Amino acid sequence: MDAAALEHLGFEIALGTYLISSVVLILHFATRKRRLAEMGFNLIAFGFAFQTVALALRWFYAGYPPWVNSYEVMSFFAWAIVAAYLALNVGSDYKSVGILVAPLAFVVLSFASLQPTNPTPLVPALRSVWLFIHVPITILSYCAFFIAFTASVLYLFKSKQLSEQGPAEELYRQTEGSEYAPSATQPESTGVLDKFTLSQLDDLAYKSVAVGFPLLTIGILTGAIWAETAWGSYWSWDPKETWSLITWFVFLAYLHVRAQYQSRSLAAYIAAFGFVSVMFTFLGVGYVLPLLQTYIGVSSGLHGYAGGSAIAGSVLFFGILAAVLFLLFKTRKKPPSVNHAPTVEDDH
Amino acid sequence: MNAAIKLLSSPRFAAGIVIVLILICILGTLFPGGDVIFTSILFLAPLGLFALSTATCTLMRIVPIWRDVRRPEIEVSDQFVQSLPYHAYLPGVTIPQVKRLWKGFRWREELKSKNTYLFAQKGTVGRFGPPIAHLGVLVLLLGVVVGAAYGHVSPQDRIVMAPGESQHVDGFILRLDEFNVSYYASGVAQDYRAKVTLIDSNQVQTGEITVNSPLIHKGLIISLYGYDSNGFMESGKVSWVAFQIKSDAGLPLVWCGALLTIAGIVLSLYLSHRRIWIKESSEGILIGATSNKSSIRFFKIVDEFRAELENLRSKTESRD
Repeated sequence: MDAAALEHLGFEIALGTYLISSVVLILHFATRKRRLAEMGFNLIAFGFAFQTVALALRWFYAGYPPWVNSYEVMSFFAWAIVAAYLALNVGSDYKSVGILVAPLAFVVLSFASLQPTNPTPLVPALRSVWLFIHVPITILSYCAFFIAFTASVLYLFKSKQLSEQGPAEELYRQTEGSEYAPSATQPESTGVLDKFTLSQLDDLAYKSVAVGFPLLTIGILTGAIWAETAWGSYWSWDPKETWSLITWFVFLAYLHVRAQYQSRSLAAYIAAFGFVSVMFTFLGVGYVLPLLQTYIGVSSGLHGYAGGSAIAGSVLFFGILAAVLFLLFKTRKKPPSVNHAPTVEDDH
Repeated sequence: MNAAIKLLSSPRFAAGIVIVLILICILGTLFPGGDVIFTSILFLAPLGLFALSTATCTLMRIVPIWRDVRRPEIEVSDQFVQSLPYHAYLPGVTIPQVKRLWKGFRWREELKSKNTYLFAQKGTVGRFGPPIAHLGVLVLLLGVVVGAAYGHVSPQDRIVMAPGESQHVDGFILRLDEFNVSYYASGVAQDYRAKVTLIDSNQVQTGEITVNSPLIHKGLIISLYGYDSNGFMESGKVSWVAFQIKSDAGLPLVWCGALLTIAGIVLSLYLSHRRIWIKESSEGILIGATSNKSSIRFFKIVDEFRAELENLRSKTESRD
C-alpha cells in the first residue's frame, strides 16, 4: 500500500469515527448518561489519531504542508477543531462540549472528501516561509473561535433553561456560590447543561476568544507581511483580507462588550454570530463569493484554495450557517407566562 | 466641547462605529469592484471617528489607570471592601495570622488609628495592555496615512523590460540580465527568477528577484509583476518582464504599530491586575479582592486562603 492509499484509509477511518462519535454525543445530550460522553470522547480521540497519521503522510508524499488546496485545508480544519477540543480536555473535563465539535468535524471532513484529492504543487507565490506561519495560525484562530461559539451557545441554552424554571430558580442557580466553591456534582443528571455553571461557560468562551483573538491578529499581520513581499502591497482590500478584518472587529466588539457591560448574554450572542463571520472568512470568501458574482479578485490565485469545488464549499457554508441560526433561534427566551404571582385582585 | 469628548470616549459610540465599519466592509466585498468603497468618504469618515474614539478613550483613561496602579488606596472603608466582587468577613481572625499564612504576594501595610490595613497587588502591567493596544492601532493608522500620502515616489510604478535592457528608475539604472522559469515535473511553473543588476552612481549591485523576495534599494521595493509568456514554452525566451516599483514611507510606522497592538492585546488578555485588601474590622478581618478581568481562578485562590484562615482560627480556638 502506498502513502496515498494509507492516507486515504486513515481519512476514511477518521470520517467514520467522527460520525459515530457525533451520534453518541447526541445521545449523551438526550439521555444525560455520563458514560456516553466518555465514549464519544474516546471515539473522537481514536479518529483524531488516524487523521493525524493521514495528514502526516499527506505532508510527506505531497512535499508541502497539508493546508494548500481545498481538500487539505478542510481536512486540516477538521483535524484542528478536534485538536482544540482534545487540548481543552487536558486537565479539565469538557467532554460534553464535543456535542458540536464531532458533528462539525464530520461534516467538514465529508465535504473535504468531495474535493479533488490530488496534490497541487506549490505555485511560485506560495513558495514562502509564510506558508508555514500565516496559514496554520489563522486556521487555529478559527478553531478557538469555534470553541467560543460552542461555549456561547451552551451558555445561551442554559440561560434559557434557567429562566424557564422560574425567576427565583434562575437567581438561585446563578448565584449558587459555585464559582468559588464548586457545588457537588449530581451523578445522575450530568447532561451538558447541568455540569457547567453559567460562569464556567462564559469563562470558557472568554478564554477561547482570548486565544483566538491574538492568533487572528497575528494571522492578519503575517498575511500582510507576506502580501507586502509577494504582491508589493500589505493590504489590498481583497475579500479574504477584508473578511478577516470583519471577524477581527466582531471579536474586538465581544471583548469590549464583555468587559464594559457585564452583559454576558449579549457577549455570548456576539461570539455566536462571530462564528458565522469566521466561517465566511474561511469558506464563504473562497466558495460563496465566486458563485455570487463572477469575481476575479486580485488574489484569487492565493486565497482561492486550489482545485476547489465552489458548489460543495458553498453548500458547506450555508449548511453551517443554517445550523448556527437554528441553534441561536432555539436559545431565545420566551416571554414570561401570564400567570406569575397572584395579584391583589385574585385574592378575594 | 465637553459633550463632544464625552461622546467620543463613550463605549457605546465606539461600539456603534465598529458596527458601521463592519457593515461597510461587508458591502465592499459583495460586488465586483466594490473595493472602491475603501478609499471613499463612506469608509474613511467612520475610520477617522474610530481613530478619534480610540485616542480620546485612551487619553482619558491613562491618568486614572496610572494613579490606580501607582498610588492605590490602602486605607479603605468597610463598605468599599464589601462592594468588591469577592469579599468575606472572618470574625476572630487576626492580622498576624493573615501574614503568617499568605505567600506569594508582597504586602503593603498601613497602620492608621489602631486599625491595620493590608494591601497587595500583582500584574499591574496588565492594566496598561489596553492603552498600549490602542496606541498601537493609532500608530498603525498613522503609518497607513503616511504611506498613502507619501508613497509611490517613483514616477512610474510599473516598468517593463526585455532581457538585456536597462531603464532609469528614480535616479538609478536597473538592468534585466536574465529571466528564468523553473518547472515541476508535471509542467506547472515552480518559480520565476529575474537576475538583475542595479547601478546607482558608482555602485553596482546584482541580485535575484523572485515572487517572494523583492529587491529593496534605498527604500524602494522592486518586485516581480509579470512576464510575457507568449511563445515562452517553445523558445524559453520572454519578450518582456514587468516590475513593480514602490516605496512606502509609512511602512516602519505600520509595523511598529502592529507590534504595539499585538503586545497590548496579549498584555490585556493574559495579565490581570489582581488586588487584595484586608482590614481589621469588628473583632475580625474583612478581606476583599478584585481583578480587572474577573478571574475565576484568582478568586478561587483567595477563597482557599479564606478557608485556610478559618481552619487556623478553629485550630487556635480549640487549643485555647
